[in-house]
Amino acid sequence: MGEIIVGYDGSEVGRAALREASALAKELGDRVVIVFGYAPGGYGGGEIPTHREAVEELGEKITAEATELAESLGVEHTVELLPLRPDHALLKAAEERDARMIVVGSYGEPPLRGVILGSTPHKLLHTADRPVLVVPASN
Amino acid sequence: MESAAVPTPHDSSSAGARAPEVGGKGLKAGALGYLSNLVIGVASTAPAYSIAVTLGFVTAIAGMGFHAPAVMIVSFIPMLLIAAAYNYMNKADPDCGTSFTWVTRALGPRLGWLTGWAIVAADVVVMATLAYIAGVYTFLLFGMHAAAANILDVSIIAAIWIVLMTWICYVGIELSARIQYGLLGIEILTLGLFAIVALWKVYVSGSALSGSSHIALSWFSPFDLPGGTTALVSGVLLGVFIYWGWDSGVCVNEESEDSANGPGKAAVMSTILLVLIYVVVAASSQAYAGPEFLTNNAEDVLGALGGSVLGSPLDKLLIITVLTSASASTQTTILPTARTTLSMARFGSIPKAFGRIHPRYLTPDVSTLAMGAISLVWTLIIINLSTSVLSDAITGLGFQIAFYYGLTGFACVVYYRREIFKSVRNFIMVGVAPLLGGLALAFVFVKALITYSDPAETETGSSFLGVGVPVAIGVGLLLVGVVVMVFANVAYPKFFARKTEVVNPGILEGTVKGEASVMAD
Repeated sequence: MGEIIVGYDGSEVGRAALREASALAKELGDRVVIVFGYAPGGYGGGEIPTHREAVEELGEKITAEATELAESLGVEHTVELLPLRPDHALLKAAEERDARMIVVGSYGEPPLRGVILGSTPHKLLHTADRPVLVVPASN
Repeated sequence: MESAAVPTPHDSSSAGARAPEVGGKGLKAGALGYLSNLVIGVASTAPAYSIAVTLGFVTAIAGMGFHAPAVMIVSFIPMLLIAAAYNYMNKADPDCGTSFTWVTRALGPRLGWLTGWAIVAADVVVMATLAYIAGVYTFLLFGMHAAAANILDVSIIAAIWIVLMTWICYVGIELSARIQYGLLGIEILTLGLFAIVALWKVYVSGSALSGSSHIALSWFSPFDLPGGTTALVSGVLLGVFIYWGWDSGVCVNEESEDSANGPGKAAVMSTILLVLIYVVVAASSQAYAGPEFLTNNAEDVLGALGGSVLGSPLDKLLIITVLTSASASTQTTILPTARTTLSMARFGSIPKAFGRIHPRYLTPDVSTLAMGAISLVWTLIIINLSTSVLSDAITGLGFQIAFYYGLTGFACVVYYRREIFKSVRNFIMVGVAPLLGGLALAFVFVKALITYSDPAETETGSSFLGVGVPVAIGVGLLLVGVVVMVFANVAYPKFFARKTEVVNPGILEGTVKGEASVMAD
């Protein structure tokens, strides 16, 4: 059984990606692996572990939602929370599982803004060693 | 988010149920080594910026004479002692790097809450001087001297600066460790170059300014100030400010290799490195231009000296250094403050909204934006009052820093009280050293309070609510904190009912490793 990695961050974009990935997975008889990469930014001091805990909690909440959505879509799924930046988390999960592809949603931001903010699809398109599917948020 | 979560120490079993297949918590751990902690500690202190805005006010103190370098050395001593307290509190509880949690554990929720308040207040107050310097130096960089002297122009740049820095912290953009090394390297090299050229002009080419004189051994002696102890203590209150920030190196704790030991050692090393930088730059500036020149250009000493010492275009290097130093400092002001309020919110001691995490950027967004907004308002008010208010604000800041650093020192002694008499080493390191540090800062606080209560001793020269402006800003804001705490007491009874704790004896024996405390219900 193949696996499809999908980046999920609790946003509309993430839901779009998960829906698309689920539809594909069902057709291919694959399983989706829902990945949430959390790496609270920043040195520069102060209460980092508290910050990390807060982010972890958020991650747990978000992946619980993702599980619910995946169940309602009737697709086989697992969840991975990784303490990495989103792009690294997706690449790592994909490599470890030798996944078929990576699916991420896109905010449809102008490229320059994406560069400044660190657009995950942008990074993946350039660095992934396997197919990447970018799903625009439906609106 | 769950209902008010209360962290408990030494308890890792009650971690909330995790989603399946959580990756090892330590994947990012190890990313920051000893050197990184050192760099962060020094960079957060922003040496170029700190000395640019402080040195002139030190020489301006009545009865200071030529003893500014001595003040740099003396101020370093309580800082080093408090660094020991940070080191040991971090060993016991590497979870939360700032004093809020430590003081809450050791001395109880009320002092802990006030410590958190003092951290936030100090950070807001310092934003005005940071943004002011950023405004002035931005214009100086482009040779726009008229604009640099115009309050409206400077206010505009200062406001843009704060908005930009807040946004950077909000979206969580950060410089890589490598770039930080680079920036700090340039900063130290530039300050070194400045000192060498200044001394060259004093001793060899004789082309220094008219107030120039050779360095005398007495400059480094704290014992014969014309103004005696009063002048020395006033100097130390400012000196406390210039060493402020190195605790950031401690606060990255978990992300570092060997999180219970590395960051503490790095904090001590960075303090030593800082004292060297400050003494060298203070002595060479004074040798080059004399204290009177420094006093007359107190708002930005390096800006005033740069052109004359280094000449064009090298003086721009000095301006860029101060700017990058101020930008590092602005970020290390917003970020830790936002994290302190995040921590306070998660302890259930302030509104829960401050504990919110932005779903995309994963930053404490409410805390960050609130910090930015309050800083912006504060800055625009202070800058437009007058530059002497600005300088009194730096003095006032010393009270807040002395308050929370001092409490951290006492917290260490109280937290480790059952361990102190178990060995000589314990007695000195977790007993005498932090206690002396705390007492020294308490002494500075009280003595300066007496001095600056008299408006005649201040830059502004006028009184506010019957006391000098530094006291009104420094101690006044702490008192506002007491009032707010009374309300918080009513709103968050669960937090204020917390009992104090003592350290697990295994921490010093090395049988137990300080663990990141875990949120439990």
